[in-house]
Amino acid sequence: MRGGVHPLDGARGGKTSTSSSPIRPYVAKSVQIPMCQAIGAPSVPIVQAGDQVKLGQKIGEAAGFMSLPAHASVSGRVVSVEQRMLMLGNPILTVTIENDGRDDWAELTPLGKDVESVNAASIIPAIKEAGICGMGGATFPTHVKLTIPEGKSCDSIIVNGAECETHVTADHRLMLEEPARIVNGLRLAMKALGVKYGIIGIEDNKKDAIETMKAAIAGIEGLHVMPLYTKYPQGGERQLIHAVTGYEVPVHGLPIDIGVVVLNVGTAAAIADAVLLGKPLIERVTTVTGCVKEPANLRLRIGTSASEAVEACGGYKEEPYTLLMGGAMTGICMPDDKPPIGKGTNCLLALTEAESKTPAEQPCIRCGRCVDVCPAGLKPFLLKHFCDKGDLAGAQANDVTECIVCGCCSYICPARLALTASFKNTKDAIARQARRAK
Amino acid sequence: MGLHISNAPFIYNKDTTRSLMLDVILALLPTTLAGIFFFGLGALLHVLVGTASAMLAEYAYQKLTHKPVRIRDCSAALTGMLLALNMPVSAPLWVTLIGSAVAIVLVKELFGGIGDNFMNPALTARAILMASWPVAMTAYTQPVFSLGLQADAVSSATVLHGLSATPLQMFLGFIPGTIGEVSKAAILIGFLYLLLKGVITWHIPVIYVGSYALLALALGNNVLNGVLSGGMLFGAVFMATDYVTNPMTRRGQVIFAVGCGVFTCLIRNFSSYPEGVTFAILLMNIATPLIDKYVKGARVYGKGKK
Repeated sequence: MRGGVHPLDGARGGKTSTSSSPIRPYVAKSVQIPMCQAIGAPSVPIVQAGDQVKLGQKIGEAAGFMSLPAHASVSGRVVSVEQRMLMLGNPILTVTIENDGRDDWAELTPLGKDVESVNAASIIPAIKEAGICGMGGATFPTHVKLTIPEGKSCDSIIVNGAECETHVTADHRLMLEEPARIVNGLRLAMKALGVKYGIIGIEDNKKDAIETMKAAIAGIEGLHVMPLYTKYPQGGERQLIHAVTGYEVPVHGLPIDIGVVVLNVGTAAAIADAVLLGKPLIERVTTVTGCVKEPANLRLRIGTSASEAVEACGGYKEEPYTLLMGGAMTGICMPDDKPPIGKGTNCLLALTEAESKTPAEQPCIRCGRCVDVCPAGLKPFLLKHFCDKGDLAGAQANDVTECIVCGCCSYICPARLALTASFKNTKDAIARQARRAK
Repeated sequence: MGLHISNAPFIYNKDTTRSLMLDVILALLPTTLAGIFFFGLGALLHVLVGTASAMLAEYAYQKLTHKPVRIRDCSAALTGMLLALNMPVSAPLWVTLIGSAVAIVLVKELFGGIGDNFMNPALTARAILMASWPVAMTAYTQPVFSLGLQADAVSSATVLHGLSATPLQMFLGFIPGTIGEVSKAAILIGFLYLLLKGVITWHIPVIYVGSYALLALALGNNVLNGVLSGGMLFGAVFMATDYVTNPMTRRGQVIFAVGCGVFTCLIRNFSSYPEGVTFAILLMNIATPLIDKYVKGARVYGKGKK
């Protein structure tokens, strides 16, 4: 990987408070399930307020290929189906279910008991039916990723166990505690695509996970564990591909253009559950950390509110100033702690004022550090001039669209310029412009 | 619950503009102490006057023009200190005072303040002082070791003028010169500190000196004298590495450093100046926008290579 930084290096990336805390299941009293859980068209609800639903029952139909069905993550009564403001942005049609505490499963139909007995052609439809999307944060529908476009071919699948973001240890714990699920998921995805090579990339600050995964793949042909030098943002899809294969994904291209598909470890585990157990994606591991009393890795039902997750960790240690979905480098601010855990929520991070107050911008001193750390090879200091002026064409000519919004430039900037934020806004503006032009 | 909304990232590297400037000031302490050791307390007076007047000039200018006052970032203090270390100890203190004010007001603030000046303020001020008071600026004194306030030593020619000194004398600083430039040992300690703290990389200083040495060798100069006497090491470590006035990309910095080395050597050989560091670096400062314009940075991820 090129560029990159070592955030919170002295504090081991802020991971120590949860890296040795085993995954603890927590069952929410009620869940809010948005119909928009992944990139793509929202699902269409098929339940009404007052309905009784079972755990894992489908409550929303997929609306097309680039869309996922929604499932009840608890059994109980549907309280409401209504538009709700969850995160910042537009209101989302949300199904709220009150848990009856029985965890009464809907009928599950596994495709087979083990990888060998499963019919390859039925794997991808099962992945879609289970509502699986990228669980590293991007929430891109996994069945779309695994549907290889005409004329392209896939020769290896990379499982992303880099977990480079600060504070998050959910993937780390999953690799330590449930390696078999990850390996099965990878093998199923390989089988579905007829791929020979499966590589699990793990940063070398997780030696125990590397050992565990190595043991889990022992004797299985085509599988490899690749330890990676620890550097943020190596868990970025394109950065990971470069680190593992030595190849770069072409500009405007997709990993499949160079024959690679990348799956997060959580996604791989969800694939195994969907195919071998018939279980839809109704829960995930989320690291709840920062200024909470007992930081932990919780196995949460999709739709658990952030406040309930924090309660499960003993509540806040002190009043948080910001509450993030995600880690400190790329996390998204929550307006309050009511929004639900989504399929891509790997972390809830509560930060105090001292930890997260936005510093004042000072003039650029042209130190060039932003250029050194940019994993996309951009010139952030130059780009910012265009972005601040609202010059979209100029920003595009300087490749702002290749920015992966990793935060490295803002992190390293001694003048504390809000570089990343201005690139993100500019990228959004360019995307809006393109949509309007259509 | 009053949660605040802002943009990622929420954590930052510890280095700030202020901490970087303070690091360079710390790195200048060995050579300042060496200057005091060799030239007496007069050297200290120059440093104090230079630093104080630079800060005062910046404060006054920013107050008068209703700009945010930024002396807390310590860049003005650094500029004043650099200028003072570039003075011969025998120069009158008021020359240092004027030099600092010129550096801050004329070279830095009038062009937009920190980050927007296109030439190194301290070096430009030095060039202006050399043109205005050439005698005072080139009256290099022999080291005296008296702790008296008045440097009573006689002025002397420098090694570059033909004075002879052993390499060890030159390395330790037992030669005439400006306050900060004489002791190469002290400069190297500062260089090491800056490298260890990650404030600068080795590229510019090493390539500067290296390219000078190569060309000097080709021209039949005494390379050791050229490097160890005069202001080359001071310029290479503390002046050419000024973030604001050198290129942003590594490749650009290499071109910049080679240019500094080549011009230093050419000026020393083919002009009436025995010393060429100041003008060489200033020339490359001026070339920096051009270098930044035409030298492409790192390849954008996914472009070109498969």
